[in-house]
Amino acid sequence: MALFVKHLRLGLIVKHGFHPLPQLTAAKYSVYPPHYVEPVFKKQDIDKLQESGEIENYKLVPFKAARSNDTCSVFHDPLVSKFINYMLKKGQKKIARQVLENTFEKIKRLQLAKYNRETDPERKASIIIDPVIIFKKAVSNCKPLLKLTAVKRGGSYYQVPVPITDKESTFYAMRWFVHCGREKDKAVSFADFMASELINASNNDGRVFKKKLDLHKLCEANRAYAHYRWS
Amino acid sequence: MMLMQRLFPNLVTNKLCSAKILTNFVLRCTYGLNNVGSDDPGVEIPEKKIVEEKTSLAMRAYLQRATQYNSFMDQQIHEYKIGKRHLANMMGVDPETFTQKDIDAAIGYLFPSGLYDPKARPLMRPPSEVFPPKKDAEFDESGRPFHVFFYTGKPNFYSILHNIATKLVELNKFEDSLRKNNILPDADKKLTSFGSQWLSKEDLEKKTVERLSDHEYKHFVVAIERLLNHACAYKLTEFISEYQKPMISTKSIVESSPVLYTKDGRAYVTVKDCPRKDARADVTVYYPGTGKLSINGKGIEFFDYIQAREQILFPLLFTDMIDKVDIEATVSGGGVSGKAGAIRFGISWCLCSFVDPEVVERMRIAGLLQKDYRRRERKKPGQARARRKFTWKKR
Repeated sequence: MALFVKHLRLGLIVKHGFHPLPQLTAAKYSVYPPHYVEPVFKKQDIDKLQESGEIENYKLVPFKAARSNDTCSVFHDPLVSKFINYMLKKGQKKIARQVLENTFEKIKRLQLAKYNRETDPERKASIIIDPVIIFKKAVSNCKPLLKLTAVKRGGSYYQVPVPITDKESTFYAMRWFVHCGREKDKAVSFADFMASELINASNNDGRVFKKKLDLHKLCEANRAYAHYRWS
Repeated sequence: MMLMQRLFPNLVTNKLCSAKILTNFVLRCTYGLNNVGSDDPGVEIPEKKIVEEKTSLAMRAYLQRATQYNSFMDQQIHEYKIGKRHLANMMGVDPETFTQKDIDAAIGYLFPSGLYDPKARPLMRPPSEVFPPKKDAEFDESGRPFHVFFYTGKPNFYSILHNIATKLVELNKFEDSLRKNNILPDADKKLTSFGSQWLSKEDLEKKTVERLSDHEYKHFVVAIERLLNHACAYKLTEFISEYQKPMISTKSIVESSPVLYTKDGRAYVTVKDCPRKDARADVTVYYPGTGKLSINGKGIEFFDYIQAREQILFPLLFTDMIDKVDIEATVSGGGVSGKAGAIRFGISWCLCSFVDPEVVERMRIAGLLQKDYRRRERKKPGQARARRKFTWKKR
C-alpha cells in the first residue's frame, strides 16, 4: 500500500504538464481558443462565400457564437450599432438605442417635411429621406484625412500630422458627433440636436464638419514638423 | 509472505528468476576474471575496463545518469504492477484482466476527490506516461557530439527551424527561376491553413523530446507560417503537413436532436437547459406551425427591449421558418439579454432538426450553434474594475 500511495504522490506532481496555448491571434482574455473564427451572420455575406466557393474552406473551422447585438435582420447596420456603443453611458444600451431611434425618427420627419414642401420635381428626387443613409453620409463627410500625434524631439513635444487608418478616422468622426451632442444646451434634447447635426453634416455643414476642417487646418499649420514622423 | 505467494505466485517466481540470473552473471564474471590471459578459447577476455578508461567524462556521466534513470524506471514499473494487482484485489476483480480504464475507475471510487482541478486529483498511470522520456546519448565515447546543433541546447528544435529556413531559400530560388522564364507561380495551388492547425507546443515538445518556451514555440509558428504563405509552398506539402494536425471535426458536434410527435401527429423537438450567462431555457419547436410564440406564457412582448426581440427572431429569420413553426419556451435566471440569448440558442438547435444539412452548416457559420462561453469578467485586486486601473499618483 505504501508503494501505491507513493506512486500517487509522484503522479500528482508530474502529471502531464498542460500549459495554456500561447497567444497567437486571440485576444489576451478571450475565452475562445485562437483558432476560432468570427461568425459571418449576414445572409448576403454567407451567399458571397458560397458563390466564391470559399465556404468549403470553413468546413472544419469552428466559429465563435454570434454576439447579442448581431442579427441577420435588414434593420441591422454595423455602423449604427457601433455608434450606439460609442454614445452609451455606463452600459445603458437600451437608453442609447432608444435615443438614436428617436433621432432617426426626427431626421425622417424633418426630411419628409422638406420633401413635401418642395415643388420642383428634380430637387424633390434629390432629397434623401432614409435616416440611415443620411447618418452614413454624415459620418463619411466628417472623416478626417490626417491626425496629430505628439512626438518628443529635443525635450519638447511637437504636434506631428500623420496619416490615419479608415477605422480610426471613422472613430474620430463618430466621437465628434457624440461630443457635440453632449456639449449642447440643456433646453434642446439630444435627439433634436443630433438630428439637425446629422442632416447638416450630410450637406457638408455644421459643427462636426467644422471640427474636421479645423483639424485639417492644424495639420496644415504643423506640416513643418511632418518629418519628425520618421527622423 | 505466504499470503503474498498465494496472491502473486507469478511475481515471486519472477523475482527468484532474476536473482538466479544475477548470480549466474556474477559467477561467470568471476570465472572470466580469474582466467585472464589463459589460452582457453571458451573464455572471453573482458576488455571493458580498458574501454572505460578511454571514455570521456561526459560519457561516463551520461552512462551513470542512464543507468540511474533505467533503474528508477524499472523500480517505478515494478511498483506500478504491484499497485495494479493490489487494486484489482481490492476491487475483487481478476488482476490479469485489470486494464488502465479499470484502474482509473477504481481510483475514482476509492479516493473520491472534491478538488476542482483535475490535475490535483489522485491518479495512477503507467510510469512511462508520468515521467518524461529521456534522450539517448547525444555524443560518442570521446565526448564529441553527433549533432551539429548540440551546443544550442535544443538540437532537434533548432534543426527543425534550420530545415524550414533552408526550404524557404530553396523555394525562393525556385520562384526566381520561374519568374526568369516569365512564369508566375500557380495561384490556384497556393496552400491555405484552413481546416488544420499547427502542432501545439506539447506536441512539438513530444516530437523533439525537448522542453520549449512559449517564445520558442512562437518562433516556430512564425517560421512555418511564412513557409506556408510562400507562393510555391505546394512543392513542400508533405514537409508542412508534418507539423499540421486537423482541427476537431465539427460535423460530429452538430447532431440534431430526435424528432418526437404529438398525439395529433405534429412533429416537435425539445432542447432543455439552453445556457447563456446565468439564464437557462427549455425550448420546444412544433412543425408545421403558424408562427406562434410563447415565452413563459407571454408572446414576444415578454421582452420590451428591441434587441432581445431581434435575438429571438434571428434564427427564425435566418432559416426563413418564421411562419412555419410554433415555439414554446420557458426561461429562468439571468437578465434580459441572457434570457434572449438562451432562447435563441434553443430555437437554433431545435430548428436544426427541421432544415437541410446545408442550412445547418450556414447556421454554424453564422455562430448560432456555438455555445457562448463568455461570462462577466471578475474584478482584480489592485485595480478599480476588471480592467480599469487606479489613477497613478507619483506620491
